[in-house]
This record gives sequence, C-alpha cells and structure tokens, in this order.
Amino acid sequence: MSQTIEVAGVSLEIEDRGTGRPLLFLHAGEGLQPERPWIEILARRHRVIAPSHPGFGGSALPDWFGSVDDIAYLYLDLIRTMGLQDVLLVGACFGGWIAAEMAVRNTARISSLALVAPLGIKVGGHLDRDIADMHSMSRAAFMQKAWCDPARGEVDYTLLPDAALAGIARGRESLALFGWKPYMHNPRLRRWLHRIDIPTKLIWGDSDGIVSTAYAEGWRQEIAGATLQVVPNAGHYPHWEQPEAFSAALETGA
Amino acid sequence: MRTWYFSEMAYHPAWKEGIDRGSLRVNFPNQAVDPVEAGKLLNRYLDEFRLCDEVGIDIMVNEHHSTATCMTVSVPMALAVIARETKRSRLLTLGNPIANRPDPVRVAEEMAWLDCLSGGRLEMGLVKGAPYEIAPANSNPARLMRRYWEAHDLILKALSTHDGPFSWEGEYYHYRNVNIWPRPIQQPHPPVWMTGMSVDTGILAAERGHVVGTLLSGGLAKPMYQAYRKRARELGWEAGPDRFAYAAIIGVGHTREEGYRRADQIADYVRTAPLVYEGFTNPPGYNSVGANVAILKNGPRANRIVTDRHGEQIDHRKATVEQFMDTETVFAGTPDDVFNQLKAFNTRMGGVGHLLFFGQGGFMSHQDAMSNITLFGKEVAPRLLELGVPEAAAAE
Repeated sequence: MSQTIEVAGVSLEIEDRGTGRPLLFLHAGEGLQPERPWIEILARRHRVIAPSHPGFGGSALPDWFGSVDDIAYLYLDLIRTMGLQDVLLVGACFGGWIAAEMAVRNTARISSLALVAPLGIKVGGHLDRDIADMHSMSRAAFMQKAWCDPARGEVDYTLLPDAALAGIARGRESLALFGWKPYMHNPRLRRWLHRIDIPTKLIWGDSDGIVSTAYAEGWRQEIAGATLQVVPNAGHYPHWEQPEAFSAALETGA
Repeated sequence: MRTWYFSEMAYHPAWKEGIDRGSLRVNFPNQAVDPVEAGKLLNRYLDEFRLCDEVGIDIMVNEHHSTATCMTVSVPMALAVIARETKRSRLLTLGNPIANRPDPVRVAEEMAWLDCLSGGRLEMGLVKGAPYEIAPANSNPARLMRRYWEAHDLILKALSTHDGPFSWEGEYYHYRNVNIWPRPIQQPHPPVWMTGMSVDTGILAAERGHVVGTLLSGGLAKPMYQAYRKRARELGWEAGPDRFAYAAIIGVGHTREEGYRRADQIADYVRTAPLVYEGFTNPPGYNSVGANVAILKNGPRANRIVTDRHGEQIDHRKATVEQFMDTETVFAGTPDDVFNQLKAFNTRMGGVGHLLFFGQGGFMSHQDAMSNITLFGKEVAPRLLELGVPEAAAAE
C-alpha cells in the first residue's frame, strides 16, 4: 500500500515494501506502475522505497516546483528525512536523470548507483537526436520504440478508474514540465558526472528504441569504473519487461 | 455586430499531397511548396484584404506555423502591409500566440509600431494558440497559461508605461530596462481580445474586460458568453455585445446555390485543420487533466467531434455545408439568407458584437473571394451593424 510523506513542503506518495538494504527507486517518465510485478521482485532482497515524482500519480506539484534540480534536492532530503543509509539508488529513464543529478551533488548516504536507460545528458552534435522525441510520435509508434514486445506494455485505459487516468494525465504533463526544453536532458550534466564517486552500473534493454547503447557508452565514459549490463528481450523499461532478469542484473557484482 | 474579414492565406496547391500523407502540419516537408507560387498567392490574398477597406468592413489576421493551411507566419508582418494599404478598417491581430513567443517586449514593440503606422486602428488579440503550434515553437505545453498570463501582463505594462525604463523579474521573463519606442496612439493600450472555448476563459476575460472570441461552434460559445456576462455582473458592470466575438465561415452569393458553393469551398479549412499527425494533436499540459481523462477513455478522435444545435454529433473532417450550418460553423446563401441566419444566431447567443468573417479558404478563386467580400460588405454587414442586444436577452 502506498503512503504519504511530506518532504520540504512537498507531499509525496511512496511505495515502501520489503526489508533489507534500502533501494530508492526513481521511476520512468511513464510513471511508477506499482501494479506490475517488478517491485515485489526487488522487494525480495531490499526495502524498496519508490516515490511518485512530484506531479505524478498521487504526489503533489507545488507551484514553485518545476525543475529536475528541484526533484534531486527533494529526494536527497527524502533520504535524510527517512534516516536511510547505504542506499542503492536506482533510476529508470527520466528517473535515471534525477538519480544522476542527485549523485553529482551528494553521495554521503548513497553507496551504489544503477542507471537504467537513463535520459539526462547530451552526447552527440546539434543534429544528433540522442534521445528519441517521444512527444513527436503517435502512441503506437512510441510503444514500438519503447518496448521489445509492445503487447507487454499495453494498458487498456477504458478499464481504469478516473483517478488513475487523472494520475496518468498529470504525470504526462509533469514530464513535459521537467523535460520539454532542452529535451529530456541537462546540457551541463555530462561535465559533472566525474563527481560520481560510488560504484555505478548502467543497465540497458537490448531493444531500447528511446536511448541506444551508443548513448549508454557516452555515460560509461564519464563515470569512473561504470559498467554496462544489457538485458535481453527488453526495450526501454527492462524492469517492467524482464523483471527477473532486471533484478539479476542489479544484483550482479553488487 | 461589426464584421472582421479574415483568411488564413492557405497554400492549397499542396493540400492533396498533405491529405494523402495524413498531415498538413509540422511534419509535412516544405519541398511541397513552390515558393514562386506562394508569393503570387500572398499578393493575391493581400489584394483581398485591401478590398475590405473599400467595402467598409474591418480586418483580422491570424498566424500559424509549419503548415499548408496558413502561410501567415507573423501577424505583425501581414498587418504592416495591410496597414499601409487601408485607411478606415480597424486591424485585429487574433492573434499573437504570446505563450509561444520568447520575447513579450518585442510583441509590445510590434503592436505599438502598428498602432502608430495605422493611426490608432489596431486591436490586439493575445491568444494561447492551437495545440499543434506547440511543436513548431517548441514551447513547453506544461503551465502554458501561466506563461501566457505573465506575457500578457508584461505586454500591457510595456504598452502603457511612459516613464520607463522599468524592470521585470518574473517566473518566465526577465528584463532590466523596458522602455518601448514608439508608444501606441491608443492609451493606455490598444483594445485587447482573447480567444477561448471554455467557461473558464469567459470568466478570466470578464475579469479584465477583454473581448472574448470563439471559433466555429455556437454550442461552445454560448456557455462562455454567459459565464462572461455573469462574472461581469458580479464585478459590477454589464457586458454588452461588443465584448463578444464569433468566427464563422460565410458564403454569400447572388443565388442561394452560389452562396452554398462558396461556403463549401471555404469549409475545406475546417475539414483540413484537424489533419495533423497524432503526435502533435495533444501536447501534454495543453489540455486540462479532465479533458485528458476523457481523451484517454475515448481516444484522440474525440477531439474532432462537435455537437450541433439538435444534439447530433458532427465529424468536422467530413461534414457537409448543411451539417456545418447546424453547428453554427457556416452561414450561407443569398445576402438575405445570411442576414436572417446571423440575426437568429445573435438572438440565440444573447448578442454578439463582432463577427469574424472567414470569407476565403482553400480552392476558392480570387473572383469568388472578391465577390464574397463585396456582397457581404455591401449587403449584409451594414444591416448587421443595427443588431444589438436581442430583446429576449435584454430581458434575462
């Protein structure tokens, strides 16, 4: 069951499941989707703490709040408020961007980092699209790019209650707020990735059409000792599409 | 009821190719434009605007981007030409898409310049813009209206301040020395118009006393006008018809058949306007959460359906002239027909002071456009000026 916690004046909806070493999971642009099996699988070994980002799901989005910087500081405060130590910080897609922004700021309570197909940096030139323009394509085209098997990702919106649909609509709007321009990245973040001083793992689906493994290489080169693990038969969301293999990848060498 | 003629200055020679590709906007490559032909068409359309001054009606210009449906890319650029070629017509921008413009002070400068050039004939529409304008401008659709209101406030402040410079440190805009030259003739600033389709817009416009206009659907316009009147009364003033505008497609002919034929050609605008690749139809944040819940339930096509006066659902992409007449999108026929239709419409709406006369579109020929403007300007528009608040509405 989700609970609500207030941090820095922001009311956050949080899933808190399992016991063990704390794993702070920062969700993708498509939302938390705790009803999928991934969270229970991770909770076998960890205390999984997974907030909905401000403006997503049931988390508030105050008027003053509006950047990825804000989210990074908020979650550093969340770790301190909850008294967490030795945190395994995991961020997927948009959540990976947030996790990297946290890790370049302060790793005092974070002891390892996993970035799952993260957005957030610029690698190529002016005419190169490092991150697929998810907002200039039809929903069907997006699903084709984001999933190895789009059928696994399909959601029948007509079956969802209005509150859940409102959460999805709010989340889509909030993702635009945080990532519209520059598109889903911070042009300066790459220059600060060298500050990440904890073991870092990059996890990538082998069929990711949103960010490629060449882009993963851009990340790997900037973070000392970072390793790349590729999950077979997975697109942009390996934790949803191959949750067991994803969990195994997370534990390997950790 | 005053009449404001407008046309989108379409590049219709590319429409067939765009329709075949399923998108006339944003991702329709501009290799489909012959720029020499575009120049000829622009000159022709500007001639049609000039005729409005001769027949005694006012002029409205809008803008769109990256599309075969409208070649007007800049409201002030088009009005700069038209201002020089006209003497009497008032000139309305409807409008400046200010939430998509990075520099509101530049907008204020352009509006002041036009007001000077035209001898104080400018009316200034400040609009949110259509959803598919987000991509060409790459403006953030989230919190779009918050940015709109900050730009709005800054533009009016820049136009009405005479003892500047002043500084502006807002959420979205930052200036240290705002002091526009020249300043507008009309003080404190040219009249302001907004557009909208919702009760909320009616209320917000009433709170500022702006003119509010809506497009092509009487079913949406009426609740917005009512909300405006109610809010104005709460604030202690009575909103007359001059606060309300309505855009419609109008075909007038010497015979009813000729009027219908012209309206049918102009109605291609409405049929083609929604033809845009799905990815650009509903940028996140542009529509409210409530509207997006409805879209998630019903699919993106829900956007294209409007309800007519009898409660029937009409698909704008395929509707006939008669169906468009039932949604109050089109008025058509002889001058008497059109006058009677508009008089009845004015009564149903409780008094509308401004008619935005969509009098040219797509494949309509220059001769037909000139005839449509002349017939409307000489035989319908003068009679519309006599329409005020209908008796039934006055008694409300």
